[in-house]
Amino acid sequence: MPVLTLKFEDKLLEERTLLDGESVTIGRRAANDIVIDNLGVSSTHARIDSVDGGFQLTDLQSKNGSFVNGRLVSSCRLRDGDVITIGKHTLVFAYAPGEAPSRDASDFLEQTLVMGAEDYNSALNQNYQPGKSQELNKETVGVLTYLAGGQGEIRLTRKLTKIGKDPDADIPVAGFLVGKIAATISNRPTGYYLSYVGGMAKPRVNGAVVKESVKLEEFDVIEVGSAKIQLTYQFIYKK
Amino acid sequence: MMVIESAGLTDVGKKRKGNEDALFLDDSLGLYIVADGMGGHRAGEVASGLVVETLGGYMKRLREHGDEEEPSDADETLSREANRLLTGIHLANWSVHRLSLENPAYRGMGSTVSAVLLTGTTAVAANVGDSPIYLIHDGSIEAIYKPHTVQAAYGALHHGMIEQQHLRHMLTQAMGTQTTVEAHICEVQCFRGDILVMGSDGLSDKVSPEEIRYVAVRNSPERACRLLVDMANQRGGDDNVTVIVVKMGPVGGGRSRIAGIFARFFSRLFGDGRAKG
Repeated sequence: MPVLTLKFEDKLLEERTLLDGESVTIGRRAANDIVIDNLGVSSTHARIDSVDGGFQLTDLQSKNGSFVNGRLVSSCRLRDGDVITIGKHTLVFAYAPGEAPSRDASDFLEQTLVMGAEDYNSALNQNYQPGKSQELNKETVGVLTYLAGGQGEIRLTRKLTKIGKDPDADIPVAGFLVGKIAATISNRPTGYYLSYVGGMAKPRVNGAVVKESVKLEEFDVIEVGSAKIQLTYQFIYKK
Repeated sequence: MMVIESAGLTDVGKKRKGNEDALFLDDSLGLYIVADGMGGHRAGEVASGLVVETLGGYMKRLREHGDEEEPSDADETLSREANRLLTGIHLANWSVHRLSLENPAYRGMGSTVSAVLLTGTTAVAANVGDSPIYLIHDGSIEAIYKPHTVQAAYGALHHGMIEQQHLRHMLTQAMGTQTTVEAHICEVQCFRGDILVMGSDGLSDKVSPEEIRYVAVRNSPERACRLLVDMANQRGGDDNVTVIVVKMGPVGGGRSRIAGIFARFFSRLFGDGRAKG
């Protein structure tokens, strides 16, 4: 039969053999089968039931959630070696060597699951250094600064920024041979890209003519018609 | 409009009983969609099917009724076309969510969505979930989607972290599981010869971007889809596999030389995307 080992940091607190047909509750209240006396643990936090020859963990709508191998779960079939995290305590679920049931074929099918944003934020904090979650909301935004042909800064907040003679262009530029939309800057997962769109005068990046698309790096200098602008990065925090 | 050649293919794979993927292709709308559903007892199929149907239907209605249905809450950092696609995605999310609330058998169902809308000079790529969208331009392939997975969120936090198997398919967002979604949007300039490849994770789990590029560049869209699905199946086929390949401008590869020359001629004659503003 599998053994459940309760640990706090590296201290072994309790070992309990799980029996076929039995249900074990975990929580802060003394009436639980496994008591974890910690304020981060709900009074009745989770339960482990014997199901179909195996065991299943069910979170009993606890305040801070139950995690199996770092994953927030509402209900989860336990497998040999699984680590359950409740508050700051861990419970290791393990069979004696050779005793573990062979894994169900369906275990190998990669299941796709969804968790809410708050859930995964808390999951991240649970297992890694807290206070880093704001990194998630940190975004890099490109800023174009005029070196010539204009003044000030332009933040590249648009997914596609249009540069050209057209009054609708996000960055208007003058010049006889400049296209209505001469070029665009696209914000892609891998960075900013400048693309040539139209007009006789092709854009230049660091002096080199752009015929189609080029990935921009910080401090690149872009020239379109009379405008000479430089890309730099800024960090912004969402919310 | 650019000359377009496109093809799509979906396959159940080698391990699953049903196919929970759905796809949509319409060259006249310039719209391509892949959805990968999740949820037991056929609910995944229902979710992905409804996503594709709702989004495709909405974009078709917009095309037929012109500007009647302009979204009122437009995001000003996006182009008009991107806003339209986003509105369609919100509508599809809501449709799936509503059905999952109404019918207990569908509770908790969801789907990914990856959609590409061609505007003539640009391609708008939008995604919720982890179905890949790649752009092949000038011999290199680039992901233009952002996977909404816990793995990706971890990666952003902890550089160089080892990939954790159990996080790979854990989504932070999906269509239909919440009342709202926040799609990732990317708009790129398109050039003749560019190729867009979209798929479900059944493809990206088994076939690397470099392999996808190699196959897509050298074959007609139809044949590329077939080959990529076969590759995923040969390597285990653990999941449903879906692929869409869209080629812009004249294409070589699987076509005859004469057809290629004609395509090039017509694309010059009827305008190439770059000439328009």
